[in-house]
Amino acid sequence: MDEVINRNSTIARELKAGSGAEVGMQVLNDSQSSGTVGDIYVDDPRMTCRNVNVYYGDKQAIFDIDLDIAKHQVISMIGPSGCGKSTFLRCLNRMNDTIDICKVTGQIKMEGQDIYDGGLDVVPLRASVGMVFQKPNPFPKSIYDNIGYGPRIHGLNDDKDHLDEIVETSLKKAGLWEEVKDRLDQPGTGLSGGQQQRLCIARAIAVSPEVILMDEPCSALDPIATAKIEELIDELRENYTIAIVTHSMQQAARVSQRTAYFHLGKLIEVGETDQIFTAPRHRLTEDYITGRFG
Amino acid sequence: MHTSTLIIVLLGLMSLAYYMGRKRSLNLVSGRVRDLHSLPSYYGLLTALWCGIPAILLLVVWISFEGSVVTGLVVDSLPQETQNLPPERLNLVLNDIRNLATGDIVSTTVDENMQQAADHYARLQGISHMAMFVAALSLAILAGFIAHRSISRQQRARNRVEKAVNFFLLSSSTLAIFTTIGIVLSVLFESLRFFQQIPVTDFIFGLEWSPQTAIRADQVGSSGVFGAIPLFAGTFLITLIAMVVAVPIGLLSAIYMAEYAGRHFRSLAKPVLEVLAGIPTVVYGFFAALTVAPFFRDLGASLGLGVSSESALAAGVVMGIMIIPFVSSLSDDVINAVPQAMRDGSYGLGATRSETIRQVIIPAALPGIVGGVLLAVSRAIGETMIVVMAAGLSANLTANPLEAVTTVTVQIVTLLVGDQEFDSAKTLAAFALALVLFVITLALNMIALHIVRKYREQYE
Amino acid sequence: MTRVEKSLARRYRQERNFKRLGLGAILLGLLFVSFLFISIFANGYTAFQQTFIKLDVFYDPEMIAPVGETDPDVLSAGNYGGLVKATMRELFPSVTSRRDKKKLYGLISTGARFQIRERVMQDPSVIGQRESIWVPADDDVDMLIKGHIDLNLPESDRRIKDDQLSWIQGMQEEGRVEKRFNTTFFTAGDSREPELSGIKGAAVGSFFTLLICLAISFPVGVAAAVYLEEVAPKNRWTDLIEVNINNLAAVPSIVFGLLGLAVFINFFGLPRSVPLVGGLVLALMTLPTIIIASRAALKSVPPSIREAALGVGASPMQTITHHVLPLALPGMLTGTIIGMAQALGETAPLLMIGMVAFIVDIPGGAMDPSAVLPVQIYLWADSPERAFVERTSAAIMVLLAFLISMNLLAVWLRKKFERRW
Ligand SMILES: Nc1ncnc2c1ncn2[C@@H]1O[C@H](COP(=O)(O)OP(=O)(O)O)[C@@H](O)[C@H]1O
Ligand SMILES: [Mg+2]
Repeated sequence: MDEVINRNSTIARELKAGSGAEVGMQVLNDSQSSGTVGDIYVDDPRMTCRNVNVYYGDKQAIFDIDLDIAKHQVISMIGPSGCGKSTFLRCLNRMNDTIDICKVTGQIKMEGQDIYDGGLDVVPLRASVGMVFQKPNPFPKSIYDNIGYGPRIHGLNDDKDHLDEIVETSLKKAGLWEEVKDRLDQPGTGLSGGQQQRLCIARAIAVSPEVILMDEPCSALDPIATAKIEELIDELRENYTIAIVTHSMQQAARVSQRTAYFHLGKLIEVGETDQIFTAPRHRLTEDYITGRFG
Repeated sequence: MHTSTLIIVLLGLMSLAYYMGRKRSLNLVSGRVRDLHSLPSYYGLLTALWCGIPAILLLVVWISFEGSVVTGLVVDSLPQETQNLPPERLNLVLNDIRNLATGDIVSTTVDENMQQAADHYARLQGISHMAMFVAALSLAILAGFIAHRSISRQQRARNRVEKAVNFFLLSSSTLAIFTTIGIVLSVLFESLRFFQQIPVTDFIFGLEWSPQTAIRADQVGSSGVFGAIPLFAGTFLITLIAMVVAVPIGLLSAIYMAEYAGRHFRSLAKPVLEVLAGIPTVVYGFFAALTVAPFFRDLGASLGLGVSSESALAAGVVMGIMIIPFVSSLSDDVINAVPQAMRDGSYGLGATRSETIRQVIIPAALPGIVGGVLLAVSRAIGETMIVVMAAGLSANLTANPLEAVTTVTVQIVTLLVGDQEFDSAKTLAAFALALVLFVITLALNMIALHIVRKYREQYE
Repeated sequence: MTRVEKSLARRYRQERNFKRLGLGAILLGLLFVSFLFISIFANGYTAFQQTFIKLDVFYDPEMIAPVGETDPDVLSAGNYGGLVKATMRELFPSVTSRRDKKKLYGLISTGARFQIRERVMQDPSVIGQRESIWVPADDDVDMLIKGHIDLNLPESDRRIKDDQLSWIQGMQEEGRVEKRFNTTFFTAGDSREPELSGIKGAAVGSFFTLLICLAISFPVGVAAAVYLEEVAPKNRWTDLIEVNINNLAAVPSIVFGLLGLAVFINFFGLPRSVPLVGGLVLALMTLPTIIIASRAALKSVPPSIREAALGVGASPMQTITHHVLPLALPGMLTGTIIGMAQALGETAPLLMIGMVAFIVDIPGGAMDPSAVLPVQIYLWADSPERAFVERTSAAIMVLLAFLISMNLLAVWLRKKFERRW
């Protein structure tokens, strides 16, 4: 966005170090190359995104986003609808490849490996960056097969017993085991909405990913199911890195440690969740938080 | 050994290759699948593909060229005077040789030379078959072996198998294009040869059609008369009659179904009407010839009218019956696409149902209906069996539906059924007629689809 | 207000008339359906029975072979025709003149001699003995017994003459004439003699033809649909393919026949009249139907399933084969069955590739010359014998039975696997 501002990250780091606590609104000094307010960097990143632009045909949906995603942390992405949260999230495991007209430029690295590198196979990538979708979408197969599918195609299990074990631990981690252990052979589509979504989370966990992307995972659920999922997300943080898109600020505040605010395809502000919700530094963020639009 | 046996053997080899490839990949990592790039089954599939596909390709190429190569060799071995025969005669001789070799009935008396040639033919074919088996099997084993050897932990077996599958998908989808090209080429080439003998203008504007005059090839003026106007007129007449029957009945029943009929009636009557669409045309043809044509003839006789027993009327009416479900289901779609708001607007003014239908729905649906009718016309023009069985053969240029007329499709069938020499104007004329048929139905179809699409877009 | 009311009666009348018109159209359509079925049925049901005549055959050693002979070559060379004639002469000793004898022999089907030969070959010990056997009557006799011959016509216009009539009546009184189930119709190939002809040859030919057609059109059609719907990017090329498919669906079937003639027979040199070529032509013809139906089936699989599979790291091809195809398969099968039903009823293109030949043998494979059911119907419909009319109708009934069961199967599949997402 603001091209004159330096693109050198080390300088930006130094600037950040000097900025301290008494930051005012829209401190341009503090922003990075793309004009994002707040610290896009973390000490121990699992994924790093630089200059990410996304186009749907001629229309640009994402503008120049720089963002790091930290290990064992939940980062939430908020913003008005249509601002590109899902689009950005889907860049992280290349789900956008499935849309013909979608084009991604820039650099997204995972553990130093550029995931948009031409030679990279998306299959192992998607195994290590799992995804949970807005509407629960279990396969029309048994609960067991829903969970077992991923390990099977990736060859993660040595034998049938091992697969049973994977299925059990995944379901346990997703907090679904007690509810379904007696009916693993029944179709996953027969579960309730919240159970289905936890099944989908278990399915993602079963391939032992490092990152789990969640795109508004609770928007189709009732409050009780939502609470369960939120609880689950908090538990999962221990072992996984989680990026969650949500339209509910309360949810973001409850589950995440870091929050990124998107607006019209740009990453406006990113920071500690507490700070974003109590002391937003950018006007747009503040307007959104205080409910002036959204 | 038969070719089908070879194919079965190849399939067996492929299964073996699958099993071996799978096993080798597992052995490489001593059973720890996650150390492999792809699942073991992909290594098996890859080996099987390598084993099977080159050999099958070889088979296809071999079989396509075997005939002409063997024939060429046999021709070279024939006595000089036979070799110098004109191509058609030579072909006859070759046919006899082939029949003799396979033990079928031969049209001429068998002489020494022919017997020799037939033996030669049979021998060559035997050698070729043997060589093919050996070549295909060795290729399969060799390729399978190499593929098996090259299996490694890091080999991207899944990606390769998927590439092969992708290629199969792609080529399958192009088959539609090749079919169209095939149709155009095969019809066009023969038509061009026809137009070298008969001027295009004579064909398109000629008023007389009588292709059957050639009894002996050397007769003067034996080429027949190929003026296609009577055929076009006959086709048009029968199509017109069919439309007169099908359009009102089809349209009215669609309207009734869409706007008046209760759920029960609809769920009962609709499938029954659709039965009409599933009846083979040969059945309609039989029905027309056996029941409808005599009915019209007797009816005509009792009214003092001379109705031909192959009248255009009978063929047209039966064709109309066949097309009713076509018109009605297309109109049904179109009428249902008219937005409810338009109906509500009309009812809101106090219009009755029929007024709404006639003054709002039909005008709104008209383009779609026209498109549907055009599709039906194209269907009627190309329809063959009903007219072959119920319409006449004689090319009368008349507008009287009580007389017998003939159509383009009837003539194609008549010209091509039975023995044909591939160079006579008579046979080629069938292709010229088919060209006309293809172009007209294609044009009608394109126009109709365009209209219907425009109509759909309007309400989307 | 009054103005509106004044015209009201007229408007309601119009309304009623219009409604009646629509109902009339539907009823007319239904009438056609029932009329067609009744006409076919009324003409055809009698073909499932055939008149048989009981003969007291003396297996004359002089005409066949000496008693005790078992060599099949000798046995099959016996004069069985003469045997039948002798049996008939014995039955009507009063018939003496050559012309009358000929008329007498004409009552029995020429198939009788083959039936007797078969009997002897099976059990040579009957030679020298006497036995009553039922043999098929000639088709004219059959027609007479079934009441299809108008006895009020002058004798010269009848296929059955007066003295033949009296012989038949004589046999009827002796209980020698009986209508029985016509197994020949289901076990024999085509024949010039109606009473010896059957649909098995054509049915087997149809089976092989459909087999080839299915083996090609189903995998290729599904593959093409998968490519267009799941794999290919939307661009000019795929648009072109799509336009092509839509147009092929409307090309008259006879043109496909010409394609087959020019390409498969004249260019590739495949033989005429064989199911292989017929199946190839029909496959090209049904391909658009299958592709269009398969694409619709693929479209109805919700995208969320694809996302789910891709999300756990399935490759696009695994997503298709593991998830999308199984869900779309019932729809694809429904489309394929309907396409096969079309192909089964198709006649015109097969005429072009020479499947109209008169073929007696029952084909043993896809490379044997054969007829198919609809072509058999066409051929019989063209035959002058009255007995072929009922056989044509009966063959149509068989064909329709196949078609209806295929369509019911398709409907059942659709109902069973219908899914609401
Ligand atoms: N498949 C697509 N094709 C074209 N445009 C798209 C597509 N998906 C999203 N967009 C556009 O990209 C922008 C961002 O969409 P999205 O990422 O779904 O927003 P969010 O998830 O924040 O509501 C929107 O303007 C939307 O119209
Ligand atoms: Mg979204």
